[in-house]
Amino acid sequence: MSGETLLSARGVTRRYGARVALHVTDLDVHAGETIALTGPNGAGKSTLLSLLAGALVPSGGRVELASGTLVGWAPQRPAQYGRLSARENLELFARLGRVPEVEVASERLLAEFGLPGDRQASATLSVGMRQRLNVAIALLGEPRVLLLDEPSASLDPEQRRRLWELASGLRAHGGALVFATQHLEELERADRVIRLEEGRAAG
Amino acid sequence: MRSAWLIFAKDVRVLARSPALLVVLLAYPLVIAALVGLVASYASSKPRVAFVDEDGLPAAIEVAGHRFDLAGTIERSTSELTLVRVDRAEAERQLRAGRIVALLVIPRGFAADLRSLVRRPKIELKTTRGGLSPRVSQQAQALVYSLNQTLSDAYLDATLKVVRLVVGGGPGEFFGNRFTVIGLTGARELLAELPPTEQVREIRKFVSQAETALGDADEALRATARPVELVELGDRGRTWLLSAQVQAYGLALTISFLALLLAAGSLAAERDEDVLQRLVRGLVGHGWLVAAKAALAALLAALLGLAIAAAFGVIVELGGVEGGQPWERLPLLAVGLLLAGAALGALGAVVGALAREGRTATLAALLFVLPVVFLGLVPREVTPAVGWISDAFPFAHALRFFGDALFELDPWGSLAREAAWLAGLALAYGGVARVAMRRLLA
Repeated sequence: MSGETLLSARGVTRRYGARVALHVTDLDVHAGETIALTGPNGAGKSTLLSLLAGALVPSGGRVELASGTLVGWAPQRPAQYGRLSARENLELFARLGRVPEVEVASERLLAEFGLPGDRQASATLSVGMRQRLNVAIALLGEPRVLLLDEPSASLDPEQRRRLWELASGLRAHGGALVFATQHLEELERADRVIRLEEGRAAG
Repeated sequence: MRSAWLIFAKDVRVLARSPALLVVLLAYPLVIAALVGLVASYASSKPRVAFVDEDGLPAAIEVAGHRFDLAGTIERSTSELTLVRVDRAEAERQLRAGRIVALLVIPRGFAADLRSLVRRPKIELKTTRGGLSPRVSQQAQALVYSLNQTLSDAYLDATLKVVRLVVGGGPGEFFGNRFTVIGLTGARELLAELPPTEQVREIRKFVSQAETALGDADEALRATARPVELVELGDRGRTWLLSAQVQAYGLALTISFLALLLAAGSLAAERDEDVLQRLVRGLVGHGWLVAAKAALAALLAALLGLAIAAAFGVIVELGGVEGGQPWERLPLLAVGLLLAGAALGALGAVVGALAREGRTATLAALLFVLPVVFLGLVPREVTPAVGWISDAFPFAHALRFFGDALFELDPWGSLAREAAWLAGLALAYGGVARVAMRRLLA
C-alpha cells in the first residue's frame, strides 16, 4: 500500500496486571486502505483498536498519528448516554470534539443513520439503533481514519449495506478504515486482514 | 474548562430526567439526618438507671408531723433518667451486661432513719465508668438535693409553727411533746392588766420587741435555710431541635451523604455506560471530568442545604422564636455549601474511581461516608487523635463553617480558616481522584 501513513502503532503492547492482552504489535494504516482484524474472542482485536483510538494507554510502544488526522472510533459496546436522546448524544460529543456547526452535523448524521430526532432516550432504542448511534458518534467531525469494533454485529442487512457504503466513501476521500469482525464474508471488503490469536498477530 | 461545563450540564440534564433518583438522592440524606438526630437526642437525654428499693418505700411518708410526697419527689428529681425498678441482683446483672448505666439503691431502713431525725438516711449510687456516669451522678445529687430541700422545708415549717405558737399562744406539739403556752400576745394582754411598775414596763418592752423580732422569723429562717434561690425564667429561645448546633449538624450530614454518593455514582456511571473511554480520547481531561463531578455535587449540596436552612428558618419564624433566623447569613451559608459540596464531591470522585462500577461505587460511598460523619461528630476534646483524623475530611470543616456562618457574631476569622480547609481538601481529593481514574480506565 503506497498511500500516506495516517496512523501507526510501533511495538505497542498492553497488559492487564500479569495478563498480556496484546503482545508487541506493529501496524501502519495508510490512506485509502481498509484493514480487517479477525480472530477468536479475547484475541486482542478490541484492545488493539482501543490503543489505536487512544482510548487505552499502551503498556509499551507508541501510537503515532499523522498531523491533522482525526480518528473516529466506535467501540464494540455502544458508548453513549442512555438518558439522552440520539440528537443530544450527537450534539454533546460534537461540542466536546469542537465540531463546527454542531446542529447541522448532528442533523445530517441523524438522517444518514435513520435515527429518531425526538427526545426518546437512547437507552430505550433498539440494539440496532443504538449501534447505529454508536457509529454515528464515531463519524462526528468527519474523521479520516475510522476504527470500528464489530460494527455490523447488531445491524440489519440494509444498515450493513449503508455502513459499507459509508466506509467506501471514506476510502474514496483518502481516508482509512480498520474494523474488527467475526464475519468471514466481511473480510472480503478488506485490503489487508490481520488475524490475532492470544494477543499476537498471526498473519 | 469548556469540556467540564458540558459534562456538568449533561449531568444536570440526566438528573432532571431521573426524578426517582433525584428524590432518593435528596430524601435519603434527610432521613438519615433525622434518624441520627433522634438517636442522638434519645441516647443523650435518658440514660437507663436501675432503681432498687430495698426498703419498700411508701408513696408518702410523715416526718416531724409533715407529710412528704416521696414518690413524686423521686419522680421529679430523676426526670432526665429512665428509672427501671428491679431487685438488686437483676440490677447488678443488667449493669454487668451494659443494659443500664447505674444503680440507685434505697437501702433497708431508709424510711426509719428519715423518721428518727437522729440518723442520716443514705442513698447508694453505683455507676459504670462510661461517658454517661457524670450525668447520672449529677441526677443522683439532684435527687438528694431535692429530698433534702423538701425535708428542710418541712423542718422549717415545724419550727415556724412553734414560733407562731410562742407569739400567738395556745396548745402545741413539738417533736411529740404536747404543751400549752400563753404566747407573747397573751403575755402582753396580761401585762396590760397589771399596774405599770418599772418591772412591768420592762417586761412589756421585751414582749413587744420579741413580737416584732419573731414576726420576721418566717422570712429570716427561710433565707438562712436556703441562702441562694434559683428562679427559672420562661424562655422563648430555640429548642434543642432548632439550635444552631443541630442545624449545622443537619446541613453537614445531609450534604455529606448527597455529595459523596452523587459524585461517586456519577463518575462510575461514565464507565458503566462505556462512555469514559470515548471521553478520555482528548475530549475531556481526567481533571476536568473530576471537576465536573465535584461541581455537580456542589450544586446539589447548595440547593439541598439552602432548602433545609430555609425550612429551619420558616419553623423558627412561625414559632416566634426570639432571635429568629439569620436570613442575612444565607449567602454566606451558600458559599460554605458550595465549598463543602465540592470537597465532598472530589472525595466521592476518589471513591467512584477506585470502586470502578456504579453499584460498587454507591455501596462504597455509603460505607465510607458513615465513619467520616461519625468521626466529625466526636468532640475534639474527647479524643484529640480523632479530631486530627477528622480534619483530613470535609465533614468537620463543613460543620464548623455552617455553625459559624449562621450564628457567630464575628465569624470572619473562623470562616476564612474553614473555607481554606475546604478549598484545599477539594483540590487535594480532586488530585487524588485524577490519579485514581487510571484504575477506572484499566
